[in-house]
Amino acid sequence: MKKILSVLLILALAAGLLLTSALGEETEDFGGVTLNVFNWGEYIDSDMSVIRNFEKKYNCRVNYKTYESNEILYTQIIAGDSWDILVPSDYMIERLIREKKLQPIDKSIVTNLDLLADGVKNLDFDPDNTYMVPYLWQTVGIVYDTTKIDPEKVEEKGWRIFQDPEYAGHTYMYDSERDAFMIAFKSLGYSANTENEDEIMAAYEWLLEMNSAVHPSYVTDEVIDAMAEGYKWLALVYSGDAAYILSENEDMAYCTPKEGTNVAVDAMVIPANATNPRLANLFIKYILDYDASLEISEDVGYASANAEVLAELSGPGGTYEGNAAYVPRGGYELDEFYHDNEVLRTRLSDLWFKVMSAN
Amino acid sequence: MKSFFRMTYPYILWIGIFIVAPMLMILLYAVTRSGNSTLTFQFTLDNFAKFFSDPDFMKVLWTSLRIAFITTVFCILIGYPAALFIANLSERTQTLMVLLLTLPMWINMLLKTYAWRGILMNFDMESEVKVFIGMVYDFLPYMIIQIHTAIAKLDRELLTASYDLGANKWQSFLKVTLPLSVPGIISGITLVFLPAVSSFVIPKLLGGGNYVLIGNLIEKYFLVAGDWNFGSAISLIMALIIIGSMWLTKKIDRNAEEE
Repeated sequence: MKKILSVLLILALAAGLLLTSALGEETEDFGGVTLNVFNWGEYIDSDMSVIRNFEKKYNCRVNYKTYESNEILYTQIIAGDSWDILVPSDYMIERLIREKKLQPIDKSIVTNLDLLADGVKNLDFDPDNTYMVPYLWQTVGIVYDTTKIDPEKVEEKGWRIFQDPEYAGHTYMYDSERDAFMIAFKSLGYSANTENEDEIMAAYEWLLEMNSAVHPSYVTDEVIDAMAEGYKWLALVYSGDAAYILSENEDMAYCTPKEGTNVAVDAMVIPANATNPRLANLFIKYILDYDASLEISEDVGYASANAEVLAELSGPGGTYEGNAAYVPRGGYELDEFYHDNEVLRTRLSDLWFKVMSAN
Repeated sequence: MKSFFRMTYPYILWIGIFIVAPMLMILLYAVTRSGNSTLTFQFTLDNFAKFFSDPDFMKVLWTSLRIAFITTVFCILIGYPAALFIANLSERTQTLMVLLLTLPMWINMLLKTYAWRGILMNFDMESEVKVFIGMVYDFLPYMIIQIHTAIAKLDRELLTASYDLGANKWQSFLKVTLPLSVPGIISGITLVFLPAVSSFVIPKLLGGGNYVLIGNLIEKYFLVAGDWNFGSAISLIMALIIIGSMWLTKKIDRNAEEE
């Protein structure tokens, strides 16, 4: 009797094991190997449970480090550091692909690319996701105080609202030549990637006029808290940060001007010299899946690359329900990615400090 | 003596790797054209021409020097009376006062500047005034301590002699205390002016983002524009200005001592 019972028990256990492995996700034991992940600062859920769960799932250790700019990341890659996962922005990925610093995504492992939201599908710098899988994305837009500025006026004037002397002393401009010149180019009807000297000079004049009209404070990330506190009326802000500002201060609204804007995508890539490509591919699949994507996007406030998560968070009962800044405008014809262009970069830097010091 | 000299080897090695080599690299970058990936150095002075031919770059340089100069003047104007006051206290109180002065220096400069930003946010004043408040606050202790040291080691008998010879308090100060404390002022200037020229965090945080200073420019060209050659040229110009002003203060100091 005892024997039969134990046989039954063993059978039950075996069945259970079989069942879970059939129903549950496939998993693999990597025996404590280390995966080196290099991501933007403050770009993952604050308690890092997403990373901890991945470590548990594949029995590995994730060495998670952060950087502050694409250029710093690039310097590290050039210095020969070995990483398994990087999360650069579109134009930097374009450059890394061109310089053959990335290896292709293994699509037999990353089988969930159909989860991608429409706005981050078929991106022109890597249309079929040969090298990258989007992580989070955003646009550049205007955050303004609805108690001081009429929303209709913002919609109508678009980027030219930054040239309205009425807001002198009440405006923040982001200290980034690429973004500042982008709004000037777009306002004048040019491409954000133009190399035409006449168009660049016209944009420069546009910015000088902005500077003398509104005397903006040139800021970087401090704009986030400052607008959440309502120190000024008008600011150039990334949509992901705007989502946070809007959720902190209900007087603030967000506008993506109809003249077009920059769309920025940060995507996961695997460097050519990665030591654990297989685990890196599994990591990409894991991050793109619903659970991790939800956790990250909800905490960070930037738009998820996962369509379902995007709908869930902005839909009824979602964390960002009614938050105009959370879901970036996707597929709009006048919106553009930045392209990497060394000549343009130096040219804009040369002109931008002149705008800033023209006071 | 020989074995003593040997003890300096690690130090020389240290200087070589961490100070001399980077400076040489900056020099190399400054006089070459970008696109050195194939390791063909194209020497050029274009980077310097670009800097000196553009009035806007000169304006930035001028603003940096002006802010540093005014900061130094205010530090002397406030620091000198403070140092004089402290030097005239009893020995024990002096130690306490110097300790109190150095106390804020234990706190990170960024933290203090952010605190000032919070305080000054509520006042409606020129952003330039805010910048000077922050700068003077941050650099003042260096000035006071240097001047205080110079006055404290001054021989009191000299003042007694001065009074004996009929000079009043003011005359004694002008003829005895002030000339003898000049070395303190000079080293105070070195400690205040030089870091103030290259400081960009305080003007950036308190000036409401309305200042482009030489430090900001260097940062921009290295990290954003990716133009290391031009960034190095600006750094080199900056280094030369600093060396020049150190030489000048040393010279003034020596002249003062000779008198």
